[in-house]
Amino acid sequence: MSSMKRMTGLGVTLTLAVGLLAGCGGSNDDDKGAQTTETGDTSSADQTKTDDKSPITFSFFAEDANPNWQGMKDQVGQAITEATGVTLNAEFAVGDPSQKVALIATSGDYPDLISAKGDLSKLVDAGAMLDLTDLIDKYAPNIKKLFGDQMKRLRYSNDDQSIYVIPTYSGMDNKSFVAGGGFELQHRAVKEAGYPSIKTLQDYENVIKAYLEKHPTDEAGNKNIGVTLNADDWKMYISVTNPAAETTGKSGDGEYYIDPATNEAHYHFRTEGEKEYFQWLNHMYNTGLLDKETFTQKSDQYLAKIASGRVIGLIDADWDYSDGEKSLKSAGKYDQTYGHYSVMVSDKYKDNRFQSTGFTAGWGVGITKDCKDPIRAIQFLDYLASEQAQVLNNWGIEGKQYNMQDGKRVVPADVQQRIVNDNTAFSKETGIGFYTNIGAHYGDGVKDSTGNYYTKNFPEQIIDSYTDEDKETLKAYNATTWMDLFPNEDQFPIKAWGAAWNIAVPSDDEVNILANKMKDITWKWIPQAVMAKPEEFDAIWDKYQKTLVDAGVEKMEKGFTRYVQDRVKLWNE
Amino acid sequence: MSDLPLQNSQRSIARRGFWQRMLQQRYLYFMAIPFAIWVFLFSYLPLWGWTMAFQKFRVGQSFFDQKWVGFDNFRMLFQDDQFINAMRNTLAMSLMGLIAGFTVPIIFAVLLNEVRISFLKRFVQTVSYLPHFVSWVVVAGIITKMLSTDNGVVNQLLMNLHLINEPIAFMAKENLFWYVVTSADVWKETGWNAIIYLAAISGIGPELYEAARVDGASRLKQMWHITLPGIRSTIIILLIMSIGHLISIGFEKQFLLGNNLVKDKSEVLDLYALKYGLGMGRYSFGTAINIFNSVVSLILLFVANGIFKRVTKESIM
Repeated sequence: MSSMKRMTGLGVTLTLAVGLLAGCGGSNDDDKGAQTTETGDTSSADQTKTDDKSPITFSFFAEDANPNWQGMKDQVGQAITEATGVTLNAEFAVGDPSQKVALIATSGDYPDLISAKGDLSKLVDAGAMLDLTDLIDKYAPNIKKLFGDQMKRLRYSNDDQSIYVIPTYSGMDNKSFVAGGGFELQHRAVKEAGYPSIKTLQDYENVIKAYLEKHPTDEAGNKNIGVTLNADDWKMYISVTNPAAETTGKSGDGEYYIDPATNEAHYHFRTEGEKEYFQWLNHMYNTGLLDKETFTQKSDQYLAKIASGRVIGLIDADWDYSDGEKSLKSAGKYDQTYGHYSVMVSDKYKDNRFQSTGFTAGWGVGITKDCKDPIRAIQFLDYLASEQAQVLNNWGIEGKQYNMQDGKRVVPADVQQRIVNDNTAFSKETGIGFYTNIGAHYGDGVKDSTGNYYTKNFPEQIIDSYTDEDKETLKAYNATTWMDLFPNEDQFPIKAWGAAWNIAVPSDDEVNILANKMKDITWKWIPQAVMAKPEEFDAIWDKYQKTLVDAGVEKMEKGFTRYVQDRVKLWNE
Repeated sequence: MSDLPLQNSQRSIARRGFWQRMLQQRYLYFMAIPFAIWVFLFSYLPLWGWTMAFQKFRVGQSFFDQKWVGFDNFRMLFQDDQFINAMRNTLAMSLMGLIAGFTVPIIFAVLLNEVRISFLKRFVQTVSYLPHFVSWVVVAGIITKMLSTDNGVVNQLLMNLHLINEPIAFMAKENLFWYVVTSADVWKETGWNAIIYLAAISGIGPELYEAARVDGASRLKQMWHITLPGIRSTIIILLIMSIGHLISIGFEKQFLLGNNLVKDKSEVLDLYALKYGLGMGRYSFGTAINIFNSVVSLILLFVANGIFKRVTKESIM
């Protein structure tokens, strides 16, 4: 025992000694911080550097994975490097991006440029981000031109009106032409059903049920699957929980529903109509139309099932299932690919998924205080916001990926063929689209100085990307694009708060902790409710609602309402 | 190291004490220095960070600007049902892992030792420890696929044997989760864990076996009376050490094999710390969890050590 005591004594001594050491270390860090800002100031005074195109490499971290990224060795990337001298040494998040950002924020070792999406507040709290207001003013004419009077939406908060990021996740003046979400059905199923009207859950179910009755298995004897959902980690939002809000006319505000009259936030699972949606899923599960593995499978199993062509219906966004659908396309099974339908719980709801948010600033690329040359960095971002760079990123290189014919940008047939059927290899080679979320850009439906659209998403071009089966189905529904099947944005007012999902809540606010708790509760109870016996559903649902209230959901709603109202003030003053 | 006769050296130690002996053994001390530094850097220096648990820690502010909050973080921790639940899961799964992870490799090692054809023995050993090098991500993928209700091997086998009429959704059953994790662990680590026992067994003198055979002991008797007692100290030391690690079982298995349906049984402390601590930027809260883990580990270690010291006279301290 005496040796124990000695050990403890030693431990204490060591801890104290270490305390001293660490104390010194801390103050060193501060000095370094001060130095960096100083050098930043001196270089900003140095006006001769404005047209510097000498090679420079910026490190860059982005929360979204980019599996095809070629380190800017792709054709578009090379053109950008040529124009700016900048090469990005990019790292993309693998696994949970917010944890990676948390680590970056703690380590104090920041990349030059960072795109932290909703986790920006962690970096701002750590003092990692540079205020871009002056830099934009001095060095970024393209960015200023692009954002124009929406510049005030770039401000961080009412208390801290700095600009920390150039918003890159939404296009300026964007008009929706592409419907990539909603409920999906295989072309062969709707064809066999004789192209019935698909407006409600009941319509959707009928098509699947009828098809499965006739074709219980595929050619190889494997069972066909009615509907499967992707419930793997955060895909749960996309495929399981968001549709409940979407089918009851409350799209686009993440886990909340914002009352447009009062700007009050409600946890959407507590609002009217959602119970019916999950009850329907429960019914689908119990009648065997919903895949029994929905809540246990991983993303790759989900995609493998889609790629096998056995899944008749999906409730997902195209970017989530497209890898599976790509395999179907390369195998030539076009009738097993999917069309998008606007499905509501019942006809008393109206699909508002295309209701305009106005310009949703918030998510984008920022410059950190560790950046070796903030001026070159802002100039790089400014170049990406230029017309030249946007056309480059969206269309590729003139004479290669598109030609100018009579003043119109035209994609040659052989290139278009590759875009549709050999997309991965084509992307890797050309880099088209890699830089969309790195630079500020115009949205769909905006024309550049030559009178052409900036992006490829305009009705004529979209139709070119459709397969014959897509066109056949659309024709049967009297539509030219999937968008035509959904209510248009003109039918709704613009949301004053933008979108609730991009309202940043400071990382230490209790709302965050409560939101995490609610997520855990919802993600646990919803699968249980869906998989329950039909007669038990009501009891489980009531218990779920009660658990939410006990865990403080009302407190969270009140807390978040404050941020919504702040946002409305910040953006509309 | 010392040329002096034994008696003389003993007397000199008594007289000139510790420093003299240290001087004599200086080369040994030199050799130990790098490791002492290593331990200091990685095990003691980070302890400074424990101060965070008593602050409302903000990144980027100096130590003296932090706000001190006393035991607030711990209070929050102990009031959280999810934490208690995670604690239970951690202990349950690591206890199950401990029991299976000890008995199976020992039995495996003892049996493998009895294999007389050396080629076969080496082959089995290699094959059995290979899974250790496969990452949990891959293992989880294989296991989920095998237990799948959609053409999973296990379900097909059971169906063909007419043991069940309908595929069992193994991954969707809360109560099976601990067993799935434990069996996955056994499959992956048995061969690897057996290596150390095989090494210990090979250290047992062959004359003991010869004597036993002369006395007419059967192979089973030899295992029981010679092999197992021969590796007893190895077993006990490993056991004490793994009891110390009971609470820090990592989270890969649970994270990769779990899903929302089994969450109540799959959430472990490390996962909880990641989600509610670091993941949300609550560094202080995360540190509080960590401190609590360390304290529990220490207690477990000392208790285990004490028990074994008394019962078997073997211990690591």
